[in-house]
Amino acid sequence: MENAGYVTLTRQSGLMREMQVVANNIANAATTGFRQEGLVFGEYVKRIDGGDSLSMATANIHNTSLTQGALTQTAGTLDFAIEGEGFFMIQTPSGERLTRAGNFALSAEGDLVTNDGFRVLDAGGAPVFIPPDASDVGVSADGTVSANGRPLSQIGLVRPTDPIDLIREDGVMFRTTGEVEPVPDGRILQGFLEGANVDPVGQIARMIEVQRAYELGQSFLDTENRRILSALDSLTR
Amino acid sequence: MRALKIAATGMAAQQMRVETISNNLANMSTTGYNARRAEFSDLHYQQLARAGTVNAADGTVLPTGVQLGLGVRPAAVSINLAQGALSATNSDLDVAIDGKGYLAVTLPSGNSGYTRDGALKRSADGLIVTSDGFPVEPEITIPDDARSISINPDGEVFAYFQNTAQAQSLGQLNLSGFTNPKGLEAIGSNLFTETEASGPPITSTPGQDGLGALRQGYLEDSSVDPVREVTELIEAQRGYELNAKVITAADQMLGATTQIR
Repeated sequence: MENAGYVTLTRQSGLMREMQVVANNIANAATTGFRQEGLVFGEYVKRIDGGDSLSMATANIHNTSLTQGALTQTAGTLDFAIEGEGFFMIQTPSGERLTRAGNFALSAEGDLVTNDGFRVLDAGGAPVFIPPDASDVGVSADGTVSANGRPLSQIGLVRPTDPIDLIREDGVMFRTTGEVEPVPDGRILQGFLEGANVDPVGQIARMIEVQRAYELGQSFLDTENRRILSALDSLTR
Repeated sequence: MRALKIAATGMAAQQMRVETISNNLANMSTTGYNARRAEFSDLHYQQLARAGTVNAADGTVLPTGVQLGLGVRPAAVSINLAQGALSATNSDLDVAIDGKGYLAVTLPSGNSGYTRDGALKRSADGLIVTSDGFPVEPEITIPDDARSISINPDGEVFAYFQNTAQAQSLGQLNLSGFTNPKGLEAIGSNLFTETEASGPPITSTPGQDGLGALRQGYLEDSSVDPVREVTELIEAQRGYELNAKVITAADQMLGATTQIR
């Protein structure tokens, strides 16, 4: 008799999770290189005694939107945006990570680093070094870094071989469990930053939907509660 | 209910963005000022279902799992080192730096400060000082009877006198470059100090080692672009409102929860 309540509960807790995902997307609407995420509800079927089955909701799969974010011109020499596919590869103490946030700086040693101080890697997996006396640092569309007219290095663009193999980490970074491969014809724009690809209208619409669905579930639980109460009432009379 | 707290981090971030923009706009006419930009980064992710977890008896694994983000944090307020426009002042002690580099000055503490504000003045003792009275390194004294001062693009300072045609060299203005100029610490009054992140200064003659040249009679304008700032401001304001909307929605969901009895 309690099954109706438990089935609704799986939906309610999933909606709570989705609300959190929406809140996180909106909170990161100004985060450079942030990728919007979504939650996918799946069906969880449980066999119950007597041959019937019970279908519950489970919000267990998340997806990362890989659409292009808006490009903002910053005119910064070390601001890069990726146009199209691919990620920058960076070196962190816990291994290599991918990111689309190209707001880089130079370390005191002259290596190209992210805001968190992690080194950006070139196409060959080595740090990108820019000598301190370099005056006109230019980066061409294929990632070739040149200073004073001399090529220095080439910033690498990679992608996971399995497109959904992206695990989020803080600092706008992604970890992969499998292999990564270089992106053919990757395009890097210097002096631009890619904004978050969060779609505010879509997110607000989804938020209202989630909120109303949640209220619907609560009113169902309320009705269910009253049904059980009245059943108990008449059975025990 | 984490959505409330996540939206609160979003509101705090947008507020910081507005503060950065208002500081930029306030410094629209500050000599040598470079626009700042607030940069953000996402917070830690909670792993509710790890990717790769075995999902069923037949060995299928979760391809991506469930990760719930916990909001946004400020990552940096980075300085945009774009060259500002040069405006002519015709004052012989105004120098603009055309390119990279900073003028070094001696702070009252004895440490060195670095500035791109080349509105130099003459102190009571004849020393070349900044508007705040800090002497430029290395110290250069202008004799009282100097008729006019000439500073060439390489930083050499000459004085002309009433009765001699020959200019007299007074000294050399140097520029200091940094490996990572974005890592300098701003201390106000258009001054910066060196940090662990900027690396030590590399002092050299203007025009050499990638440093800019000096332009006498010009000052560098603020590099703030009002159009960009106002667009950003609109974005920040709307972003703030969106986050506030999430708080309202999350609150109403909590309200619905407490109504069940």
